[in-house]
Amino acid sequence: MNELGENSPNNHHDLSNDELSELRLLLLGIEQPKLNKLYKRLEDPQIIQAEDVSKLLPEAVILRSKQDRQLGEAMVHTVEDAIQGSVNQDINTLSEVIFPIIAPATRKAIAAALDEMIQSLNQALEHSLSPQSFKWRWEARRTGKSFAEIVLLRTLIFRVEQVFVIHKKTGLLLQHVVAPQVSVQEPELVSAMLTAIEDFVKDSFKVGKGDALQSLKLGDLNIWIEEGPLGLVAGVIRGNAPQELRSVFQEAVEKIHLKFKVELDEFDGETDKFINSKPYLEDCLRSYYKSETKKKNIYAWAFLGILGTVLGILSFFAIREQMRWNSLITKLNSQPGIVVTQSEKRGGKFVIFGMRDPLAADPQTLVKQENINPKQVITKWKPYLSFEPQLMTRRAKEMLQPPKTASLKVDEIGLLQAQGSAPQQWILEARKLWRFIPGVIKFDEGSLVPTELNQLRLYKQKIEQTRFLFEEGTTNLLPSEDDKFDNLRINLQKLFDTAQYLGRNIRIEIIGHANTKGSEATNITLSQKRARKILSVLNTKAIEVERIRTIGVGSTQPLKANTKEDMEKANIRVSFKVLLTDMKK
Amino acid sequence: MLQKKICMVGAFATGKTSLVSRFVYSIFSEKYQTTVGVKIDKKSLNIQGRDLSLILWDLYGEDDFQRLRLSYLRGSSGYLVVVDRTRNHTLEKAFDLQQRVEATIGKKPFIIVLNKSDLKDEWEVDEGEINSITQRGWTAIETSAKTGLGVEDIFQTLAQQMLEQ
Repeated sequence: MNELGENSPNNHHDLSNDELSELRLLLLGIEQPKLNKLYKRLEDPQIIQAEDVSKLLPEAVILRSKQDRQLGEAMVHTVEDAIQGSVNQDINTLSEVIFPIIAPATRKAIAAALDEMIQSLNQALEHSLSPQSFKWRWEARRTGKSFAEIVLLRTLIFRVEQVFVIHKKTGLLLQHVVAPQVSVQEPELVSAMLTAIEDFVKDSFKVGKGDALQSLKLGDLNIWIEEGPLGLVAGVIRGNAPQELRSVFQEAVEKIHLKFKVELDEFDGETDKFINSKPYLEDCLRSYYKSETKKKNIYAWAFLGILGTVLGILSFFAIREQMRWNSLITKLNSQPGIVVTQSEKRGGKFVIFGMRDPLAADPQTLVKQENINPKQVITKWKPYLSFEPQLMTRRAKEMLQPPKTASLKVDEIGLLQAQGSAPQQWILEARKLWRFIPGVIKFDEGSLVPTELNQLRLYKQKIEQTRFLFEEGTTNLLPSEDDKFDNLRINLQKLFDTAQYLGRNIRIEIIGHANTKGSEATNITLSQKRARKILSVLNTKAIEVERIRTIGVGSTQPLKANTKEDMEKANIRVSFKVLLTDMKK
Repeated sequence: MLQKKICMVGAFATGKTSLVSRFVYSIFSEKYQTTVGVKIDKKSLNIQGRDLSLILWDLYGEDDFQRLRLSYLRGSSGYLVVVDRTRNHTLEKAFDLQQRVEATIGKKPFIIVLNKSDLKDEWEVDEGEINSITQRGWTAIETSAKTGLGVEDIFQTLAQQMLEQ
């Protein structure tokens, strides 16, 4: 009690006061200082501390928000200022906070826009060149719709074209969404008419209370209606939609009723309040398009593939044939003695017109060389004489028939050149005949040798190789030498005959020799005697001797030998020299 | 956007459809009236700077063969009752219709439209009868389908009354 008295602000040590306090304590069980503190707090709200507020604030906000919207309204400026402040201070903070919301939303919007664009483009391209497209273009023209619209219409299985939210009681349109590329008529009127039709059906036929018109169908157009207690969602669907779509509509009706219950209930014609219902309706705008089957593609590709291969093969053969044909014409034209004047393809066959020298190459051989079927080629040649050098050469050979040892050539200016060797007889013939060869203006036989001249040289050689050996110091022939006369005589005879044939003059020298033994004067005499001896033997055998003269040269023209002894023996001899001196023409 | 549903009723052949046809926008033909019993038009107005769309339900004129479909009246914010001044019985019909409409949708602004006002010589509904209408506190407006007289007026007046409610 004393303690109480000390702490009390009115410590008067008054007996009656003390008693009163004691009584209060007994009755209420509250200590006076605490009570005083409470009084003080109640009288002066300033004393309420931040700590107390912080304890109560969240609960207070919740409670107040439940009661009315005043708190929200009161906070508007504060929140706005706070956001403004945050932006001014550091824009990054706020942008980081809202990024997770903005980014996916932006992505979604861009993706949706792109998707829509690509789909339209794709369909337009896909159907722009098919045979069906011409039908559709015609249909578009007839109905006044755009081609894209017709393409969409004809390829879709279903598409929700429009969605209406209609106020049930008034039939007024609350909200309306349309799919892209769909043309619509006054939705307010459609909405009212739809309500009228529903009323009409309900009035005209006995339907149970609560029953509602669920769908209308006309051709491939369907109108699906999902009713709620205050409003209804009506979807205009092109094609055959699956029943699952109904649940999407139902969901939309439910959400709209949940969110706009008050607005629907108190609807007075103001439709702006329902703008936020748009996302629910857009969710109903679904569609499903026919995709081209893979099988169809395979057939199409296979067909294109086969067509491509066949065309490839055909064009390969056509090109090859054309190339061979061109090559044939070029080759024919480059052939001496062939001139192609006209070539063409007629009824699957090649026809060639031109001129041909009879001596020119056979065109059929060239046709075969080019791997062209000769039956496919028809040629019509007119004969002519070609003055090309090759042809003139051929013609010269044809006319002169030269021996194998001789060759003929005609050049551009008409000079016929003969080379090699040929019998004198042929040469004489050729001299007469060359003037009759067309185109040849001169005959050059400078390089042509008569075959007989070679013979003549051969006989000369044989004669000059012949030697007669004598006994030393005498004009007696060694016994072995007699046999040589027959051969010598034959060779001499042939030599004279051939020379006469060729018109050549022959002179023969019989040269007598002696070795170095004895005096040179004796030797000359002896050698002369030896030469005369041989001439006398030949003469007896009736050889034409007027062209033969004898000479003695002593030891002045010795033969070389390995030993002196051999040399001495060998130089006791007679040798011959044939002189083809004159030429008489 | 503010929208209001209004109805137009009247006896058969009072010329109500042709009365408004030049003043409203419609996508439906008149045959709807004889089949479904209603033709729907739209009238856009601007009342004191505010855009207003009136969705006009033009109900089939009641005759011996077809009754008025009362369900079409539901949700109307106002209505027009059309009288053919050249036929007296259409006025009686108008009173009858007004009562039935009011019984269906409750007290709403309405206008008695006195049509064929240009055919003065053929009038059967005289000034006295018209006075009795105005004495009831009702609004009556004279119109002519031929000249277009009073048509804009009926929409403006009704819209005004509906917005004041």
